[in-house]
Amino acid sequence: MSLISDVIQSTKAILLGMKETISQLPKQSWTVQYPDVPITVQPRYRGQHLLHVDEMGKEKCVACYLCAAACPSDCIYIEAETDPRPYEERIGRDERFARVYNIDYGRCIFCGYCVEACPKDAITHGYNFELSVYNRADLLKTKDDLLITKQKQSKNYRVALSSEDVDSEYKEV
Amino acid sequence: MSTELIKVTINGQEFAVEKGARLIDVCREQAFNIPSFCYYQDLALQASCRMCLVRIEKMPKLQTSCTITCTDGMIVTTQSAEIEKAQRAMGEFLLANHPLDCPVCDRGGECELQEMIFDWGDVEERFVESKNATPEKFLSPIVANDPQRCILCKRCTRVCDEWMGEDAIEAGNRGVNTVIGTYGGWLDCSQCGNCIEVCPTGTLLDGTYRHETRPWELDQTISTDTYSSDGMQLSIGSRGGRVHRIVARDRYVDGLNGEFLDVKARFGHGFVNHEERIKTPLIRYKKGGKLIPTTWDEAIHFVTNKFKESGNNVGVVASPRLTNESIFTLKRFAKEVVGSENYTISDVEDLAPFFNNLSVPLATHKEIRHAKTILLIGGEPEEEQTFTAKQIRQAVRNGGAKLIIVHDTPIRLTAQASQFIHVNPKSLDAFALAFADKSDKTILSKIGAAQSEIDDLLKLIGESEGDFIIMFGRDLSAEAQAVLANVAGNFASEKRRVLLHPLPLYNNSVGANDMMAGRKSLSDVLINSTALLIGGSLSKPSALTDGFLSRKDFIVVQEMFETATTEFADVVLPAASFAETDGTFTNNTGFVQRVRQAVEPVHQAKADWIITSMIAREMGVDFGYNFSAPAAFRTLADSIDAYAGLRYPHLKDESKPVQVKHPIAGKKDLSKETDALRRGVEAMPETNEKIIGTPKVGHKLHRLTTMTSKTAQFHLLAHGNPKPENLLVSPLVQFNLDGTPRVEEKAEAASAGDRISDVKRTAGVTLDGKV
Ligand code: SF4
Ligand code: SF4
Ligand code: SF4
Ligand code: SF4
Ligand code: FES
Repeated sequence: MSLISDVIQSTKAILLGMKETISQLPKQSWTVQYPDVPITVQPRYRGQHLLHVDEMGKEKCVACYLCAAACPSDCIYIEAETDPRPYEERIGRDERFARVYNIDYGRCIFCGYCVEACPKDAITHGYNFELSVYNRADLLKTKDDLLITKQKQSKNYRVALSSEDVDSEYKEV
Repeated sequence: MSTELIKVTINGQEFAVEKGARLIDVCREQAFNIPSFCYYQDLALQASCRMCLVRIEKMPKLQTSCTITCTDGMIVTTQSAEIEKAQRAMGEFLLANHPLDCPVCDRGGECELQEMIFDWGDVEERFVESKNATPEKFLSPIVANDPQRCILCKRCTRVCDEWMGEDAIEAGNRGVNTVIGTYGGWLDCSQCGNCIEVCPTGTLLDGTYRHETRPWELDQTISTDTYSSDGMQLSIGSRGGRVHRIVARDRYVDGLNGEFLDVKARFGHGFVNHEERIKTPLIRYKKGGKLIPTTWDEAIHFVTNKFKESGNNVGVVASPRLTNESIFTLKRFAKEVVGSENYTISDVEDLAPFFNNLSVPLATHKEIRHAKTILLIGGEPEEEQTFTAKQIRQAVRNGGAKLIIVHDTPIRLTAQASQFIHVNPKSLDAFALAFADKSDKTILSKIGAAQSEIDDLLKLIGESEGDFIIMFGRDLSAEAQAVLANVAGNFASEKRRVLLHPLPLYNNSVGANDMMAGRKSLSDVLINSTALLIGGSLSKPSALTDGFLSRKDFIVVQEMFETATTEFADVVLPAASFAETDGTFTNNTGFVQRVRQAVEPVHQAKADWIITSMIAREMGVDFGYNFSAPAAFRTLADSIDAYAGLRYPHLKDESKPVQVKHPIAGKKDLSKETDALRRGVEAMPETNEKIIGTPKVGHKLHRLTTMTSKTAQFHLLAHGNPKPENLLVSPLVQFNLDGTPRVEEKAEAASAGDRISDVKRTAGVTLDGKV
């Protein structure tokens, strides 16, 4: 065989391969330019927890410890207290409330068991996923970070409407 | 108990059971589960919950097994579709008016109702009518009450009546309107909290532990009561280094007292995590100066140098509240490090005369419960040895025992007595003499009782069969105690067993007496030493000790709080409380029971025996404990005969306590003591004025302090020590029925030096629960 036919053969092979490769390149860009562009999270996404309040702004949690009992990674710490003041003056909706309510995000696996366990619908998963911190101790979030009244919606994400077809977009790939 | 055996068939299996046994007990013993709410062993039968239904052949309907006594050839079925249907229906009725409160109910997690319904599963509520809602309220600062949760099992009313003799809580109204209530809206009782303990639901709850945590979050540590000499077994519930509650729940503790505890044992634990605990070692560098915080190294060094200067003039005083290990280590310190015999205990009475002259063994609490005759001379067990008092009451009420009381005050137990000999004030010694020496008739006028009364008593004893238990306390002089302990044996006969039961004041009075055998008297030690090592503040009235203490060169005190004794101390070393140490207490029946560490010592506190051995090591003597409590106990057990061979593993099971056998001295010649006793009696003034009126047991409404200062029982409250504020049963302010605060109570509490700190809690809780 001559050198020339070798060159022709391999160039052909490369071109054939490249053709296949190029035909597989996405026609559309999938990457979201986070954080310059907000990302869309699904309605049932499990992000940082929210502690809810009732329509009067009273905390719904009655410190029953059921979430802490259900939690497989043992990351919820509660201290209960009694507040016998009238409803208008007290912190919680009930006489019993959580004086301390901590979740350790260094341990939480976002399984949602705590939400399942709560008899008062006091805790749900929010959407916030931006939980990175510079200091490990900061992963421990207190009631001040978890209460729905204290959490700010970040500009960096939006929650998909339930009618929005977020799923199939990804499935196409 | 008859030992005759009969045959009973349960679920097709045949069992031989004792005649007269109750069916529910038999079934449970054979591991057939029978649900029940109202049945409670050793209380009167109630049969109101109808949960314990079983099918007995030849009986027309389902029967309540809690009221059935086994008969020969009985054929019983405990599980069938029919029975479960009936039980489920009962459960549904119980829940008809029950709120869905489990998340906020303090009983949740250890509620018998919750457990049972949960075990069945699939319970559907078919009642659509709205529930008869009632607000929560406080019956007293320690008893929170939610009437809607009540299932009317009446355990609470029965224990209040049968155990405590208070009858402060009763069922009122009829039918669906029945509620558990009190007389006048208040629980005016001794605040023992036993109704809270036995309540299967969250109707009666601990007001001091209200909404604090949940039972599964607590570490349960089984330990021994630090107040009364009955050595009641209890369970310390702690979380994160804090003691939250103390219960006797027999689901955790199957000890000698079942679910029985008293107000101090149950609620007097606030001192453990109290902010006034001594935090670091303190040194007073100059007499009259201030106590200055320092490090352990510096303090031990300082103590060592000073003790070396004093040579063998160092005296050692141990408190009867400490563990056996700590008291024994203090004794070793005196003997091995100082090389002197200057050691003693600071108990209010000396138990040596009693124990050195024992003629019969000690009674156990079970034996008291089943005794046939009980003679109580002086003492006030309802205040000081509450469990003994409960056993006496049940022996009389449920066991038909005869109780004879000889007392100068008509104490409340006299209501249960078959015979009450009302003697002149402070003349119990004279009675002891008359009892020991029947020939002496001249002293009758001192006693203030007729000869016929004493004859009746002797006749009653003479006719009695079974166990005869003699109890007496420190109302009697040392000689009288010695004489009585020694003559007790004379009453024994073939049909009658005589047992003795001492009534000491402190939790470890008996243990201290055993540990410090061969001790000197407190005043001897105080006089004959120039330096002192005091483990636990002195409990003698300060008049006796102050003069001595201020003249000592150097005093070291191991204490939890700053007290009247630490005012004289040159060095104060922070000691650990009973909840922070491992050790043992010996109770008044000779049971050696474990004290277990529930929380880490607070601040820099250390167990008393560790402190003492640290000083010893610095002074060149190593006790060889290596900071291990079992090693300390081993040394102790090997050097005291009655404890020989005991090790911690033997004491592991609190349901099978180990009784140390105190040596029985047998008949002794006590003419010296008798003579001294006679001289004392002859010197008694003759009087005809008797104390009338029954003192109320305990305490004014809701005040633990009153109960304890009355009997000088609690070391923190007696002897002019500061009163930790949360020892007030609860910092709640009480309200009158019309909703106005009970100001006089508040003012009185404040003037007594109590501080009501927790203002938050005081806000707006009224009696009827309205806010
Ligand atoms: S999501 Fe799961 S791991 Fe996280 S707190 Fe809740 S129960 Fe615990
Ligand atoms: S969040 Fe819900 S489950 Fe957790 S303690 Fe509060 S009420 Fe109970
Ligand atoms: S009493 Fe028992 S069943 Fe009733 S609310 Fe309390 S925990 Fe639940
Ligand atoms: S208060 Fe408790 S113990 Fe008393 S009757 Fe009601 S449920 Fe039974
Ligand atoms: S336990 Fe038998 S009726 Fe209640």
